[in-house]
Amino acid sequence: MDTSSTDINPNQEERRSRFELRTLLETSRLLIESQEPDFVLNNLLLITMGKLLVPKGMILINQGSDKKYQVSKVKGRCPFSEGDIIKLNFDSKLLDQPTLRASEVPEVAGQMDLPDNSIFFNLRTTNHHLGFLCLGPKGNKSELTQNEIEFIESLSIISSVAIANSRMFQELRLINRKLDRKVHDLHTLLELSKDFNMMVDQQDIARTFKFAMLGQMLIRTFFFALEVEGEKSVVASSGLKEQPSERELERLFELDDVFRCDEAEHNCPFLEKNGLKLVIALRFQNEKIGVVGVGEPANKATYGEEEVNFLQSLGNLALLNIQKTYLLKERIEKQRMEEELNLAKTIQQGLLPSPLPTIPGFDLDASNVSSYQVGGDYFDVVETPDGGHVLAIADVTGKGVPASLLMANLQSMLHALAPIDVTLPEATSSINDIIYENTPADKFITFFWGKISDDGSRFDFVNAGHNPPLLFRKGEDSPRQLDAGGVILGAMPSMTPYDTSSLEFQPGDVLVFFTDGVTEAMNPDQTEEYEEERLKACISKNLDKSSSEIMQAIVDDVQNFSDGIQYDDITLMVLKVH
Amino acid sequence: MKNFNIATRQHQHVSILDISGELDAHTASQLENALKSLIDEDNYAIVVNCTGLEYIASAGLGVFMAYIEDVRNLGGDIKLTNMNDRVYNVFDLLGFPSLYDILEDEQEALERFSN
Repeated sequence: MDTSSTDINPNQEERRSRFELRTLLETSRLLIESQEPDFVLNNLLLITMGKLLVPKGMILINQGSDKKYQVSKVKGRCPFSEGDIIKLNFDSKLLDQPTLRASEVPEVAGQMDLPDNSIFFNLRTTNHHLGFLCLGPKGNKSELTQNEIEFIESLSIISSVAIANSRMFQELRLINRKLDRKVHDLHTLLELSKDFNMMVDQQDIARTFKFAMLGQMLIRTFFFALEVEGEKSVVASSGLKEQPSERELERLFELDDVFRCDEAEHNCPFLEKNGLKLVIALRFQNEKIGVVGVGEPANKATYGEEEVNFLQSLGNLALLNIQKTYLLKERIEKQRMEEELNLAKTIQQGLLPSPLPTIPGFDLDASNVSSYQVGGDYFDVVETPDGGHVLAIADVTGKGVPASLLMANLQSMLHALAPIDVTLPEATSSINDIIYENTPADKFITFFWGKISDDGSRFDFVNAGHNPPLLFRKGEDSPRQLDAGGVILGAMPSMTPYDTSSLEFQPGDVLVFFTDGVTEAMNPDQTEEYEEERLKACISKNLDKSSSEIMQAIVDDVQNFSDGIQYDDITLMVLKVH
Repeated sequence: MKNFNIATRQHQHVSILDISGELDAHTASQLENALKSLIDEDNYAIVVNCTGLEYIASAGLGVFMAYIEDVRNLGGDIKLTNMNDRVYNVFDLLGFPSLYDILEDEQEALERFSN
């Protein structure tokens, strides 16, 4: 300590010096241990004023880098009150000094109504100017001694360090809390991604998304709109005074991806009426299919980048999972269809004769190559009680289970009628009437059946709208078409009896029954059908072969023509007379 | 099913919900239903006693947000009591203490309702 003051005897000086040291020590402990800047400042002011008997003092705290100061503490008469922000023009060079006399900064002193002999003690750390401790003159008007000034300078340094520390502590606490919040946000995202994963109902996902948003963002007003198959609708909401109109919904999908409602023209009254502040677009595979809107947080906070990011992340997560539920639904639907097709295939295969009966004097083979969707093709060979054989081929309109059920009907009627002694035209009329009465107007069956007599010499037949079977006979240039009959089954009630015709078999006759899956098979370009001419040519080339070889030759030729792509069942029956 | 339970008691005009276990996305709807049915039956003085509450997720907090204003507009309140530190910390992090009466003890909440 400077001991230049000579008017005090050394003994008293020493006592005083010790007292100041003790004060310094106690104060420094008090200040350093405190983490409240307010407490530090208040004590600094009170200690200095009390100890030096100064009736007027204040503490100014610099507000950032600006020349603005906050009047933090005021004791004694002063034009300002605590909390006021004032602008003080200190020359920045002066801010390096530990103290400023009011006379050095007359303008500032005048502004603050401080007499000339007041002193500004610079509150600063090595790097920062924090503010000033301003002390007026002593109550007895005498100036502060050099000793006293140095004492206050020391206190100011300690206080500045304490303030800087407590500021740093508070900043750390704030950062820590921000970090905690961030961790919580991430935790929420992670947890919800797991939760969403377990949900298969889009309503559940939308509701969970809503509640998570309300809780996480501390909001009351919320909506979540989705576009599904071109239809836009609000799938979850909270606190809305009214739902958006169709036009307003359209408008919501047109807004910018991050839209702050107060900052731009939106022409959407719905946003205003419900106090919505932020609208965010949600995209799936770059397509905007969702919109989320939120009202003001209850703590009046504004939406910063972090909140927007969180909202987007959570929204996209919900959207992704909702999309997933649709895909799941599609997959289940597909699975169901596949099961149905398998069922149809099982029914169809169950109806076809297996094994194929053998007919003495004939070489017979038949086959059905069913397509993916299972057409309604059917063939049958039934022995009659008189020793004859009924051969039938049919094609039911439609595909899948409905077609196979109608086919089952036909099969049971055929099996019921075959043993009864009725003529083919009569039986055909009965079947037609039953089918007509029991099926919708758009369900038909093309049907051909014929009966080989017990001795195998004759073939009586009726053709109800089916592709005419072809009879190849030695010595004849072109095959005969077996077309005698009438209208297809199920189209109209039987008004006129079905025609019938018969033929006498000759050795070497080849009779080929087929469905339109053969003649209407398409080439790969989808421009041309296989047609009867190709069929006839193929059969003609193979007449010498066995019935199964002829059949296989046709199947190969058709599949070769269509390059293996099959849209309909291919059904063939080949009968060769020994 | 996750472990979450909710029970309702009545103390004079105050309805008390005792919630325990884990309040998350899957169990939030149970709390929602309980609050809804209280409000539907004109019970607006509600205390949620969180003594047994071990965990709360944002979706659980969201349920409180969704109903607080309705209840207050009807002249009532939802007061939360008896939280453990971990649960309180989540409420605190998200800023709930500035909006809700969060009290140490159920008794305090009952007293506030009777004043």
